Amino acid sequence: MVEIKFCGRGGQGVVLASQILAEVFFRLNLYPQCYSLFGGERKGAPVTGFLRVDEKKIYLKCEIKKPDHLIYLSQDLVNISEIESILKPEGMVLINTPLDVTRYEPLRKFRLVLIDAFQIAEEQGLGSTINTAILGAYARASNQLPLDILEAVVHDLVPAKADANVRAVKQAFQMKKIYP
Amino acid sequence: MKKLSSGNYAVAEAVRQAKVQFIAAYPITPQTSIYEKISEMEAQALLTGSMARVESEHSAITMCVSASMAGIRVFSATSSQGLALMHEMLHFASGNRSPMVMVCVNRAIAAPWSLGTDQTDTLAQRDTGWMQFYCEDNQEVYDTVLQAYKISEKILLPSMVIMDGFFTSHFIEPMDFADDADIDQFLSGSASPDRFDIENPTYISSLVNANDYLAFKKRKFTDMEAAKEVIAEVEEEFKQIFKRSYGMVETVETNDAEIVMVTSGAMTSTGRVAIESLRKKGLRVGLLKIKTFRPFPYEEVEEALRGVRKVVVIDRNVSIGKGGIFCSEVQSAINNSSVNPLVYGYIAGLAGMDVSSGVLEGIVMEVQEKESPDRLPVWVGGN
Repeated sequence: MVEIKFCGRGGQGVVLASQILAEVFFRLNLYPQCYSLFGGERKGAPVTGFLRVDEKKIYLKCEIKKPDHLIYLSQDLVNISEIESILKPEGMVLINTPLDVTRYEPLRKFRLVLIDAFQIAEEQGLGSTINTAILGAYARASNQLPLDILEAVVHDLVPAKADANVRAVKQAFQMKKIYP
Repeated sequence: MKKLSSGNYAVAEAVRQAKVQFIAAYPITPQTSIYEKISEMEAQALLTGSMARVESEHSAITMCVSASMAGIRVFSATSSQGLALMHEMLHFASGNRSPMVMVCVNRAIAAPWSLGTDQTDTLAQRDTGWMQFYCEDNQEVYDTVLQAYKISEKILLPSMVIMDGFFTSHFIEPMDFADDADIDQFLSGSASPDRFDIENPTYISSLVNANDYLAFKKRKFTDMEAAKEVIAEVEEEFKQIFKRSYGMVETVETNDAEIVMVTSGAMTSTGRVAIESLRKKGLRVGLLKIKTFRPFPYEEVEEALRGVRKVVVIDRNVSIGKGGIFCSEVQSAINNSSVNPLVYGYIAGLAGMDVSSGVLEGIVMEVQEKESPDRLPVWVGGN
């Protein structure tokens, strides 16, 4: 079982990102389970999305406390000591940031992935909707997600600008920086 | 068809497929997405009936009871304070023998405010004469809404189909949705009886003397007991078509168990993981899930606990001044019977506090070490 936690802010598409990824796993005949926590349903408030995936039915009806993968849609939510305390040792952390890897030196003991999703979203005319770029980077970094299925699900589930979102997925799939 | 759905959206789909003719509701977290989805379905002309967006839960239940007297299939959904506000009309629903179905999404009762799951809201309606079904996951909620119409319309008592806020209402998982035609077949011949007959006028909710009052209550009581047989029949019919069944109670690995953990709702699902893990560690542990709380399945509970040395009831609810409510009910069910285990009461997960498999395993380990139960419940977590 893999447990994934998405951290972002209201308006960035955190909830939809977890649901898109769940649908990708579902189409791969896996068993996904996803849920979200809200600080308040408004733009800018911290929002956390969670996703479990396994080959068999998941019975756990409790929170994800120690994720395998941590995804930050908002770099200002990154708290290095918190990551060190919750992320599994062989875990992966993906951060949306224009900053250089030197800024996240302590996280290099994990698998660290950096992506400038705001730049991609802007180039594709998506404004602050960065969730699809994040998923493109995640697909590449996890080495397990077929890009074609992710693109198809994004196309089906995003509420607007389907083609631009698919292009954001493709572009992010190429642009990620993975350490090590 | 298999697809991903939250518990709440699954309820909305069951309401559509059961061809419910009238829905009245007021939104409240965590029930709101049921209300929203049914509204959306109405706007898309997918519903057989219509929905009233009323000004309070009291109005919602009152409209539902009245409409169901006129012989149509009705639905409502609520949580927490909304259910508390309905309280007096819940008695009218069962007293007037309305076969309505309502989904209750558990949420802690204020004060203080909390949005998290807690069964005290529905358990506080224990004595209103409604059947109560506590479901552990999305699939069971969906299946039970469909079954509840058939059970209620046969026995003429209302049903509460209950799920945990967030852990069931908002968790999105793969589910099996039935074809509309199969549901039509399952529900064919079942309907809410039309009791407004112009040619033969009668009066409902009348003022009666004590003798007649007693007769009404006794009839309701015996019919509630008789509901057990109807529940079993309806489950069997459901199983024939949809290949799934649940039982009023379910036992997991109880045959050789020394300790049996008793759970309800979503905690049961996590409990299955805990039992598997404890068995691997060599502990002889089993699980008893109580799904049907009213009518209370005392015979099934007694049978499940026969030969068991220790029983630990884990309650996501509390009756202040007594303890966990499922715990009290289990104790009273086996009282005066030939089954006599030690019964340990634990309160865990109030207001949505996380109850992981590890927490449940910890409780069982503690019970294993403890010679005798405390008089008062043990509280898990918190400061």
